[in-house]
Amino acid sequence: MELRESRQPWKDGMAKSITFIVTKDCQLACKYCYLVGKNAKERMPWEVAKQAIDYILDHEDEFREESVVWDFIGGEPFLEIDLIDKICDYLKQEMFRRNHHWFNSYRFSFSTNGINYDSEKVQRFIQKNLNHLSIGITIDGTQRKHDLNRIWKTKEMEQGIQPKPEEEKGSYKDVVRNIPLWLSQFPHGGTKVTISSADIPYIKESVLHLYSLGIHEVNINVVFEDVWKEGDDKLFEEQLMQLADAIIDGGYYQDYACSFFSEHIGKPLDAKLDNQNWCGAGKMLSIDAAGNFYPCTRFAGYSLRSKKPIIIGNVHEGIDQNKLRPFLTLDRTTQSPQECIDCEVASGCAWCQGENYDAAEMPTIYQRATAICKMHKARVHANNYYWNKLFRKLELEGEREEFEKNKREVKPEIC
Amino acid sequence: MTKKHVGQVTPEERNEIQTLFERRNGLNELAKIVTADNTELYEKLVKDMGETGTKFQNWWDRMAQKYQWESAEGGNWEINFDTCEILLVI
Amino acid sequence: MLQYLIILLDEASTSFCSYPLPLGGGREGALIPLDTLRQGIRFGMMENLMIQFVYPNYDLPEEYAEVIESIDHSKIKPASPPAPLRGEGSKGADVWVMESIKGVKADVPVVWRTDKHSLFDSEADIIKALENVPRLNVVLTDIETFTDKDFASYKEVLARLSQKVEQMYVEGKSPQLNLLTDRMMLSKMNNCGAGDTNITLAPNGKFYVCPAFYHEDEADSIGDLEHGLDIKNKQLYKLGHAPICRHCDAFQCKRCVWLNRKMTLEVNTPSHEQCVLAHLERNASRELLQNIRKHGTFLPEQEEIKEIDYLDPFDNKDTWQ
Repeated sequence: MELRESRQPWKDGMAKSITFIVTKDCQLACKYCYLVGKNAKERMPWEVAKQAIDYILDHEDEFREESVVWDFIGGEPFLEIDLIDKICDYLKQEMFRRNHHWFNSYRFSFSTNGINYDSEKVQRFIQKNLNHLSIGITIDGTQRKHDLNRIWKTKEMEQGIQPKPEEEKGSYKDVVRNIPLWLSQFPHGGTKVTISSADIPYIKESVLHLYSLGIHEVNINVVFEDVWKEGDDKLFEEQLMQLADAIIDGGYYQDYACSFFSEHIGKPLDAKLDNQNWCGAGKMLSIDAAGNFYPCTRFAGYSLRSKKPIIIGNVHEGIDQNKLRPFLTLDRTTQSPQECIDCEVASGCAWCQGENYDAAEMPTIYQRATAICKMHKARVHANNYYWNKLFRKLELEGEREEFEKNKREVKPEIC
Repeated sequence: MTKKHVGQVTPEERNEIQTLFERRNGLNELAKIVTADNTELYEKLVKDMGETGTKFQNWWDRMAQKYQWESAEGGNWEINFDTCEILLVI
Repeated sequence: MLQYLIILLDEASTSFCSYPLPLGGGREGALIPLDTLRQGIRFGMMENLMIQFVYPNYDLPEEYAEVIESIDHSKIKPASPPAPLRGEGSKGADVWVMESIKGVKADVPVVWRTDKHSLFDSEADIIKALENVPRLNVVLTDIETFTDKDFASYKEVLARLSQKVEQMYVEGKSPQLNLLTDRMMLSKMNNCGAGDTNITLAPNGKFYVCPAFYHEDEADSIGDLEHGLDIKNKQLYKLGHAPICRHCDAFQCKRCVWLNRKMTLEVNTPSHEQCVLAHLERNASRELLQNIRKHGTFLPEQEEIKEIDYLDPFDNKDTWQ
């Protein structure tokens, strides 16, 4: 009898996440992208990558997590597929050669725009590392929603000249053609959808469109930046209510998931018992082309609009543990205004530590940005509606128990 | 293909096979890039692949013996790492 | 709650704390304009603040003395170089700041700014000083450079000083050495309080969290005399918003927010070095308190200082997170 195990999704959250910012270049110029300093010049040299790996693996006692996610980010990471391939080969060899405990538990993770997903080099890399890969392709929904923001970069943009709306070229078609190949390799692959003010009218159609493409997990978030206009919350609520109806009436709730709807959001939080920080900044490590370490990519210079980067060390001198202390002792209430502490629907209201820092009145990570407050409240209304409607339907049909056993929920993934 | 729940292992037993599973995958992918001219690493790899494979097989033998799971001609067992369930796949 | 207003009378006013002496070592710089001084005093009166004037190392023009004397206050003055003045020489200072304590005698509290090496080499001078001043505040100026070896040396120095201080108590004296005797007397945090209980007015008419913030970056102000105070995220200067400190009982720690920001980039988060030093002092105080009590009743209202197994509360965070 042949013995075989089922393929399991990688259980991250408990793993150390180490991010290589391999390039700050991207083929696209998405309008909502928080990376304000993208450029084609800053590509990670191999020597820097190697020094970073050697430092990390040399200091096993400082990285005690049982598992590791080696994460590659850009810009568009697959623009640097040769470097990535070299890094991953070196990592595998070195983890094994040194008898490092991470050899028994690692993943290589990518969030890509999907444009060169089918290229020979990327595909060769995927085949070589298939059992250790987690790849998410970002597709924002229907073509009109996707192309509203995810447009091709032009030469003029590099000189600061924005194209006229009629000259913008969307990237939907260049991405969607790779979705079947991606899903054939990663059947459980999920996508990240980002919602900014202009996208709100297209939320429902976009989530349903992604389901129709065969994507079962749609991780969707509103941007944390202060972009919201008067009335956006009402529009957002209406879209989510329509989406709730469509998911329930269409029976999608059985096999598909959308992170907007969660049973656990919209409840008050105890100031003592529910005081954890939301964000993992500081527990992660991010490395840029110059060999600097950051608590998260969002603290690198190219991510910040108005603050200096927070550098916590470099490949030569290692990590300055003092710079990590604020991140590792940060809790919810200390960084929250009283309004958030007293909020009746606080659970599930997320924040990004980098955006908090960038938006703060002084250089601190201890000032929570609250630009999404009204959007969260709108989400809670629609979410309540969704679960009340769904549970009633299931109860009437006698399927509640079965649903509870098999229900799937997307873990919130906000970065 | 049908799957039938035929047993359960403890979380500790699950952890043991999961680690071996991960290691085996790691060794297999490492084998694609380590060549015989890298003598030291190559020999270490070959030795480890043998040892891990043996431990892996031993685990299934040991557990099958311990729990006496139902089996079927042409079928195989799977473990669900999340739930520690053993499934018979036919 | 704001209680004190520190007024720097000159750009070159002496440092009485961890931050470096102003450029030129405290020589004549830019004197606070008389009108700014008057407005500062007026602000202090209106806000009901106790004013502390920090002097430069030269005599101020006479008209300044008149304005200064128009309000109840205390004076922080540097000792004249090269050698500190003796006894009566503190020229009316309420706190006397010096860079050397060799042979010091004073009838007011003395602040001694020192680096670790001078401290390690000055045990005898410290003991002598304790005989000759009502209080000695030792301020370390290079906390950020402490290594494990330095911590060990510091611990040893404190232990030896503790023996001498104990002896002095037995002899009926009451020496005050901040590093050793403060924690014995405290039952709650008693920290610097910059940005919380005190703020600083600089000669440019702007307010700062403390003199160090002014010297580091003049643009880093928290308001001015014209528009009033504007302390961003002022809660972060309070104990309740300091995740490590609010779980700590090294009550004598300065909790230097300037050093915090310099080393951890956050005003509310102390560095490992600051925490370990404060805990070595705390533990030495604990020993001292226990030892003095062996000779008879001492501070009966004070609880024992508990024995703990860490020197940095950050390492103990799993118990409170």
